[in-house]
Amino acid sequence: MKALLKYGGLLLALGASACIDIDDQPSKVHDFRVLGISTEKPELMAPDCERTPEALEVLTSEVRFRALLVDPAGGGRPIQYTLWACADVEDELCADEANRVKLAEGTTAEGELSLAIRPGAATVGEDIPLLLRVQEADPFKGLGGIRMPLVLHAVAGDEEVYAQKLMVFWCPMVEGMKENVQPVIPGLRVDDAPWTVDALPELRGEGPFVMTADDVAPFEETYVVPGLREESVTLQEAWEIAWYATFGEFSPQVTGGADLGGQKGKHRTEWEPPEDAKEAREVTFWAVVRDGRGGMSWVSRRARWSP
Amino acid sequence: MLGAAGSTPLQPLTPEFSTRPLLRPSLSGSGNPFSTRMLLPAMSPNVKARSALAAASLLLAGPALAQAPQADAAQPEAAAPAQAQPTITKPPELLQQVEAQYPPEALTQGLTASVRLIITIAEDGTVSDVQPTEAVGNGFDEAAIAAVRQFRFSPAEVDGVSAPVQVEYVYHFTLNAPPPAEGAQAEEQEAPKATLTGQLISRGSRSRVAGATVRCGDDPDAPEALSDADGRFTLQVPPGECAVRVVASGYQLYQTKEQLKPNETTEVNFYLAPSGGALETVVRSERPKKEVVRRTITRQEAQKTPGTFGDPIRVIQALPGVARAPFISGELLVRGSNPGQTATMMDGVRIPILFHLLGGPSVVNAEFIDQLDFYPGGYGSQYGRAVGGIVEVGTRKGAADTLHGSVKIDLMDAGFFLETPITDGISVAAAARRSYIDTLLPAFLPKDEGSTLSVVPRYWDYQLRVDFGAKRGAASEAEAQEQAGGARSSGYVMAFGSDDQLRVVSSGPKVATDIELDTRTTFHRVKGDWTYRKGALTSVFTPYVGLDNSSFDFGAARQDGRQYSVGAREVLGMELSPMLTLRTGLDLVYEYEEYDVEFPAPEDLEYVAFPGAESVGEMLKESISLDAFDGALFLEADVKVGKFTFTPGVRGNLQLVDDTRNLALDPRLWVRYAATERTSLKGSVGLYSQAPETFRFVIEPYGTPDLVYQRAFQTSLGVEHRFTDALDVDLTGFFNRRFKNIVEPGQIIQREGGTFFQERYSNDGIGRAFGVELMVKKNRASAQDKWSGWLSYTLSRALDGRAGPKPARDGGFGGGFLDDQDATFGLSPWDQTHILTLVGNYILGNGWELGGRFRYTTGRPASPLNHTYDVYNSERNGYSPTYGPFFSSRTDGFHQLDVRVEKSWQFQSWTLATYLDVQNIYNASNAEFLTNDYRYRKEYEVPGIPILPVLGVKGSF
Repeated sequence: MKALLKYGGLLLALGASACIDIDDQPSKVHDFRVLGISTEKPELMAPDCERTPEALEVLTSEVRFRALLVDPAGGGRPIQYTLWACADVEDELCADEANRVKLAEGTTAEGELSLAIRPGAATVGEDIPLLLRVQEADPFKGLGGIRMPLVLHAVAGDEEVYAQKLMVFWCPMVEGMKENVQPVIPGLRVDDAPWTVDALPELRGEGPFVMTADDVAPFEETYVVPGLREESVTLQEAWEIAWYATFGEFSPQVTGGADLGGQKGKHRTEWEPPEDAKEAREVTFWAVVRDGRGGMSWVSRRARWSP
Repeated sequence: MLGAAGSTPLQPLTPEFSTRPLLRPSLSGSGNPFSTRMLLPAMSPNVKARSALAAASLLLAGPALAQAPQADAAQPEAAAPAQAQPTITKPPELLQQVEAQYPPEALTQGLTASVRLIITIAEDGTVSDVQPTEAVGNGFDEAAIAAVRQFRFSPAEVDGVSAPVQVEYVYHFTLNAPPPAEGAQAEEQEAPKATLTGQLISRGSRSRVAGATVRCGDDPDAPEALSDADGRFTLQVPPGECAVRVVASGYQLYQTKEQLKPNETTEVNFYLAPSGGALETVVRSERPKKEVVRRTITRQEAQKTPGTFGDPIRVIQALPGVARAPFISGELLVRGSNPGQTATMMDGVRIPILFHLLGGPSVVNAEFIDQLDFYPGGYGSQYGRAVGGIVEVGTRKGAADTLHGSVKIDLMDAGFFLETPITDGISVAAAARRSYIDTLLPAFLPKDEGSTLSVVPRYWDYQLRVDFGAKRGAASEAEAQEQAGGARSSGYVMAFGSDDQLRVVSSGPKVATDIELDTRTTFHRVKGDWTYRKGALTSVFTPYVGLDNSSFDFGAARQDGRQYSVGAREVLGMELSPMLTLRTGLDLVYEYEEYDVEFPAPEDLEYVAFPGAESVGEMLKESISLDAFDGALFLEADVKVGKFTFTPGVRGNLQLVDDTRNLALDPRLWVRYAATERTSLKGSVGLYSQAPETFRFVIEPYGTPDLVYQRAFQTSLGVEHRFTDALDVDLTGFFNRRFKNIVEPGQIIQREGGTFFQERYSNDGIGRAFGVELMVKKNRASAQDKWSGWLSYTLSRALDGRAGPKPARDGGFGGGFLDDQDATFGLSPWDQTHILTLVGNYILGNGWELGGRFRYTTGRPASPLNHTYDVYNSERNGYSPTYGPFFSSRTDGFHQLDVRVEKSWQFQSWTLATYLDVQNIYNASNAEFLTNDYRYRKEYEVPGIPILPVLGVKGSF
């Protein structure tokens, strides 16, 4: 109840802030953004928790780094990027030069940036595995997995973004642990009709247009992690999907997830074009799914809207 | 010399001390009512006239007694908890009376008058001030004042201590008829008589009017009757037409005509109109203060301060030393302390939950309070369990005269108050309130086919008090003790409680997240109060029991909590000599708490959280119970040395919770120097302790079993001056330092087995505050005075933070800092350099009353955004801010005017009042907080409450 009292005041403040008209909404993609970052695999799980060659081989193996870069107003301008790995998750810029490793750099264009990297093999100083530094910097010393920050520094014109992704390294610390599987949205629907990647559905009028994801429940994994009080805790993923569009807004912008009482949200949202929109246009949509343990992927769709 | 214009020598009458008891027993039940009578010479040989000081009325009254006479309202300060209202334990007696000189001009013109005066009687019984409440002219005012200035009284005592008091005194100048012819008296005795009997009732409230004189005509020699405590009178007069005149202090002159038949009894009820509106604060007396600052809010002020919704706790926010809480929150942020560090008690028992519905109206029903005492710091040793301030709600005892009550309806809730005597010496008061927004809300909620949206907030509260052991007609405490055989007991039993429920159901195909929330919080307290007085010894024993229930259902999560508490407070006071008074006592609380909880394993408590979408944990089920004892032993003494009063005190605290044992010793000292009768210098220094709440001691990681007492060092220095009897000024400086305060979360600790946990709480909290408070208060000098109000100003600086390093993880709400670079100690989020409040109330007349409250405070501290690039965390799909220096800027200053208009209609037996309370009448756009866009590129102001009118209706009888 005490917590409820405290949260009550917070809710009041949030309620008041909801009354403020803020133009820039997260679902409205109008400038340079990083909408998501994933690694394939989403986590590397060693076969055991000792420093064995087999374990090191897994932990130092190559992963595919992907970043969804969007720049609708950029006109195809070049995007300079640098990818760092560093030790401290609180170091959101990977600014600590003594504890960072440059994994890649270059120039790309908007769209998906895809890089092959070996973050587990990175070393700092006198050949010290960065993984060790990550573990040292972690107040839980890796009990929740060794989470190595990967920071993508991307610059498009005068816009600049530091985007952090955690690369998770595990070992089977408790019985039942298994490697995370990348979450994938099984399918999307617009106004209850299937919405495939090649389709260009016609959306007419002021909406709202209902957009949903096909049932993800069968794909939400049940998994085991080390416990802080008990030896292990069993959890079930509650995926969240973030919705974006180059035109108009989504409400809600994020669907799914679970609340404190374990109640899961539905993947149903409504998209509306701007009230003052007069001209028909093609709109790009993105849906980015997160499994809450490092797994992430996205899909893109297009539709033609007319007043 | 009186009657200089006449030729006949003056014939002064002996004062009749027993015949005109105009004392209102409601306040002290005692007093030496008196009147004086004085003959005047004939004005001229043709018109034989006499002038008389027909009735001089002495009234003793307490603060803000609007209606019911009440007996034995409180206990002496020497021993009682400070919530008791001041009691005149020994009223002043008129020892030396001086006759007024009849103004020659008025005498010549045959004019008469009644001069109503407020007399301030100094501690030594001399008259220190005399003010007419309303000038009557023709030289009467000057003559009456000149005479009264030479009066001398026996010193009055308030709560057993000599103290200045004020009395209202009516000086009547009348002209007498010629003396009767010889033999007429014998004829008069043989003549038939008529009897006029009846009751005097206050119009609009039905209070009985005691101590009023009833007579036929203006002849001072005519028989007259005095109304008793029930307002009853019996008058025997010659038959025929009686031009009835009823004179009662605080009421307008009542005149009517009655035809009285020989040897018959005519029974009547006279409804007297109160003079000067509803507020009848006629006489004020101050309880002796040892605290440096004690600010008292009367029931009238609690109900009528604009912008507070009539909420007594929110009125406290308009006093010096209290920072403005955001929006309409009732949080008390006292002298730099944080929310939860100021204790609010009802007659000495802590109120577990102050506000309904997470910050709605307070559970303290304004109808039930007698007054509120607010101690911003430096309070007495009998108080503890707080490192901020103390609010003591003094409840109201039932009426001693007859049944009274009121019904109030406003936007949120409706409630009633009833008070009545049961038998001689026993009275009862009861109040209850229930919200009805749960019945109104469905009309405003959106309806969507196939969807369910139900929001049911509901609350109620109640208060009940039964008093026994009233003085039953005794004129003073000493007399009451004498009647009771040398010692006397009085007391009361009180129960209060509240219930809050909130049920929210939202489901349907179009709803993004189905929600099912059900919460309920209930508490009940029953307390007794037994006061025993014998001579200089006073003992007040206050036992209580409590039951708290809380339940929380949200999806699969469920928590049921029960708390049983039993406590007692004993305060023993002994006046060993006029120079030395001792007080000592115990303050004990035992609690047993048990919780049944079932919830999905929460992140960071059961496993290391990963940022972003939280997974659903396996269900956990726990049953937890805790025993807790918190006791204190205190001792303090008032030592008077000349004009100095030293009050050293000490409070020893012991807390036992399962295996945890905490000790804290709080030495305190107060010094008061009475520089003059109107000016005092005062200072205090001391340590204060607040035990962590019991629930914080539950098992790790949900609690922290090794918490210790939160501590504070408080010191203050000030001066108070009474410019006039109605105008007080108080200027106080303070410095507070808090340490070992509880902050959340604590550090991450590695157990011996290699696992980790984060301390839920820690005693790392520290704080510092210093400032100056100014209070200028204007009371209504008399029933005719139309203005009242106060100016409150605080200049202060408050710092807050933690002594240890920043925790590696914030671990949720509270205790967080903006980024790693921030110092862990800096400006408090509640810091407001300037806090100005102006409160005014004006009685327009004809039942209209107008009030206003203006507030200005410095804006809240804020950290400026310093955006040059976006920092995006892809796991939690959110951005991080880049701030400038911590709290290096502020929002704009806050200013707001609230206005309250009330119109009352006084009917014979009841009063109807309707009011309109408008918050923020000029719709100022105040920034409560700053928020930002999702990328932290731009700041936006979160506005406060816009113009908000609230209409209410109240009927009372």
